[in-house]
Amino acid sequence: MENKERIVLDVAFQPQVRTNNDTRRIMLDVLIALLPALAVAVWQFGAYPLAVVAISVASAVFFEWAYRKLMKKTNTIGDLSACVTGVLLACTLPPTTPLWVPVIGSFFAIVVVKQLYGGIGKNFLNPALAGRAFLLASYALIMGRYMVPNSLKGVVDGVTMATPLAEMYDTGVMPAYYSFGSMFIGKIPGCIGEISALALLIGGIYLIVRKVISWRIPVSYIGTVALLTLIFGREGFSNVDWMLYNILAGGLMLGAFFMATDYASSPVTLNGQLLYGVGCGAITVLIRYFGGFPEGVSYAILIMNLCAWAIDKAFHRHQFGVSKEDIAAEKAQKKAEKNAVKAQKAAETAAMKAEWAEKAAKEAKR
Amino acid sequence: MSHTFKGGVHPDYMKAPEVPMTVIAPPPQVIIPLIQHIGAPCKPLVEVGDYVKMGQKIGENPAPVSAPVHASVSGRVVAIEPRPHPLGDMIMSIVIENDYKDTPCEDMAPLTPEQLKNPDAILERIREAGVVGMGGAMFPTAFKIRGGIGKVDKLIINGAECEPYLNGDHLTMLNYPEQLLKGIELVRIASCVDKAYYGIEKNKQDAINLLNSLNPAKYGIEIVPEEVKYPQGGEKMQVKAVTGREVKPGGLPSGVGCNVVSTRTSYAIYQACYEGKPVIDRIVTVGGSAIQAPVNGLTRIGTPFDYLAEQCGGFVKTPRKIVLGGPMMGICATNFAAPTVKGTAGVLFFTEEEDKHVEKPTCIRCGKCITVCPMNLEPVFMYMYYHNADYKMMEKYHITDCFECGSCSYNCPARMPLTHAFKTTKVMLQVEKAKAQAAAEKAKAEAEAKEAQK
Repeated sequence: MENKERIVLDVAFQPQVRTNNDTRRIMLDVLIALLPALAVAVWQFGAYPLAVVAISVASAVFFEWAYRKLMKKTNTIGDLSACVTGVLLACTLPPTTPLWVPVIGSFFAIVVVKQLYGGIGKNFLNPALAGRAFLLASYALIMGRYMVPNSLKGVVDGVTMATPLAEMYDTGVMPAYYSFGSMFIGKIPGCIGEISALALLIGGIYLIVRKVISWRIPVSYIGTVALLTLIFGREGFSNVDWMLYNILAGGLMLGAFFMATDYASSPVTLNGQLLYGVGCGAITVLIRYFGGFPEGVSYAILIMNLCAWAIDKAFHRHQFGVSKEDIAAEKAQKKAEKNAVKAQKAAETAAMKAEWAEKAAKEAKR
Repeated sequence: MSHTFKGGVHPDYMKAPEVPMTVIAPPPQVIIPLIQHIGAPCKPLVEVGDYVKMGQKIGENPAPVSAPVHASVSGRVVAIEPRPHPLGDMIMSIVIENDYKDTPCEDMAPLTPEQLKNPDAILERIREAGVVGMGGAMFPTAFKIRGGIGKVDKLIINGAECEPYLNGDHLTMLNYPEQLLKGIELVRIASCVDKAYYGIEKNKQDAINLLNSLNPAKYGIEIVPEEVKYPQGGEKMQVKAVTGREVKPGGLPSGVGCNVVSTRTSYAIYQACYEGKPVIDRIVTVGGSAIQAPVNGLTRIGTPFDYLAEQCGGFVKTPRKIVLGGPMMGICATNFAAPTVKGTAGVLFFTEEEDKHVEKPTCIRCGKCITVCPMNLEPVFMYMYYHNADYKMMEKYHITDCFECGSCSYNCPARMPLTHAFKTTKVMLQVEKAKAQAAAEKAKAEAEAKEAQK
């Protein structure tokens, strides 16, 4: 190397190496994890749901690109987060949704919820769920029209039917043509991505194994729902049946594995994640018991999204090298100091009072 | 029970212990910096034109926290002047023209069997031989051991070598197992403890088996196999893994009765005491994508990096970075002419291939930095406060506990410069503290002067 003097050397603080697992790879993993659920959707509802997904993704990516372009910001569609939002939004729509609906949902999710707050990592609500909530409020009829799945054709008359949870909510009984097996596999009506607990479980486990998400939020979320429904039950059902219906029949699996675990809108502290999951579970059960909807997952997660920052602030990890005894000792010391200050103040006030009394006595003498 | 700690990452290890140890031919000129340790800089004991023998002491400082330096080749001193130091500055160095005779210096005789049982004699020799923490910290070992006597009940030898690329410790274990155990025994005797725990990561199973076959109990040593995880070799992580104790914030391992000495340091102590050989060489792993194949070379202290690269087959690609030590905690050298020093465990020549820098990185709040931090910190929030220049809040989040292992930055999918931010902040806080202290002292002095005037 004769001209090594000419080589310009870079200097950087450690570490000099980085993991291969970047943002793009994580988002790709989420997309991969959603494939089984989409496959079940095609099996039960035909190819049309794929068009909904495609339009949703395309519009989400377009809005992200257009907003960043208009605002003269760096282009971020390469990180695939807009794709994930698009697919997740489509997953929460009924299979017969007209194709213009996801476009409006994507606009709300990407532009209002995500980009107006600064883009990826800054949104405090889950964009896909907020988009769904917006659509639910705007087009309740379209959002409530559930198609009969292929496995139930011939068993049920007509083109549309109520979801199992809605049926149960309205009539108080579960129709006989649903079995736990059929619910687990996904032979039920529902939104595009939510019907198969099995497919979502496969995707969720994939995400946990790839360390994209931790087990804390899904396990604490589903666990809380299971525990509460098992304890309180419902008239006309055995407690175990009621619990299984609650876990398998609605959007709980999709919500727990894919929605509640959204990075930007969920807590990052480890104990905070557990509390967040418990909160999601408790609110879901509350809505299902006392609310006006048969479902509760979307709103439960959106409500807990709003608490995520406060939860993070409340949960600090224990400092390395500081044991419980140390903390107790420090507290005791602080208390002692406080008491000492209090005692001093009390003594001062007493002295002042005495002085005043003396003065008053002198005045009185005059 | 598995011996490990909480958090940590699994980087690509890129290790090549199967590459046998080679001897790098000594360079035509060695550059011996007078600072190769933490503490007082050495003063030269020779002058330009003097003839020095290999192993002769050429720089020293009587201060307690210091370590002498020795000539790593024989030959004439051609210059005593500031030369580029691997840490970046120009540092006063002694340059020796090699006469390729390697005439040994007889000043330092091997210790007698009685002396080998006497802690004071061993410590004296450790200091004389210029032994410092050769894992990279370069803290004078004799001072460290002396400071721990009476406080330390568990001596830990660090054989984790958790940094990617580096193989020096592993090869020392494989090539000199008996000598290594004897060296550890010396550290144990000098520390006045009955037992030393040798923590080795399980990816060096061959070394663990070999050392166990030599009956380490005879030397008062217990081998502790540890889980393979970075930063297992961090001092606090070693203490936690072996003893379950946690070093107090801002404290030293000796505060919880532990002392950690590295593998290579123990071997250097063996050489100093049994062979009378000061620290003049060490195994340096040369690697990175700019080099054709990794080399584990026994290298003289003071070998310039460009010469080292030439001896390892030259560059196949243009290097962009010279990393000293492992890539996780290693710092960048700025000059090809800078020499290896006692703490240089590796010299890595990196190209764009290893570079994963991103313009305008954005945090996605995934929290992966929190799960990997071995010190239970929350880098995501610390970085948020760094971004807002709120250093007080960063202190509240225990920034001073960060020992810059780089796990958070390594694991960050958004490539946020986390460790960079924390290192910068720590320096800034130190400067501010010093400023505040100076201001307080000044105010005090002024107040006193006023009092005196009255």
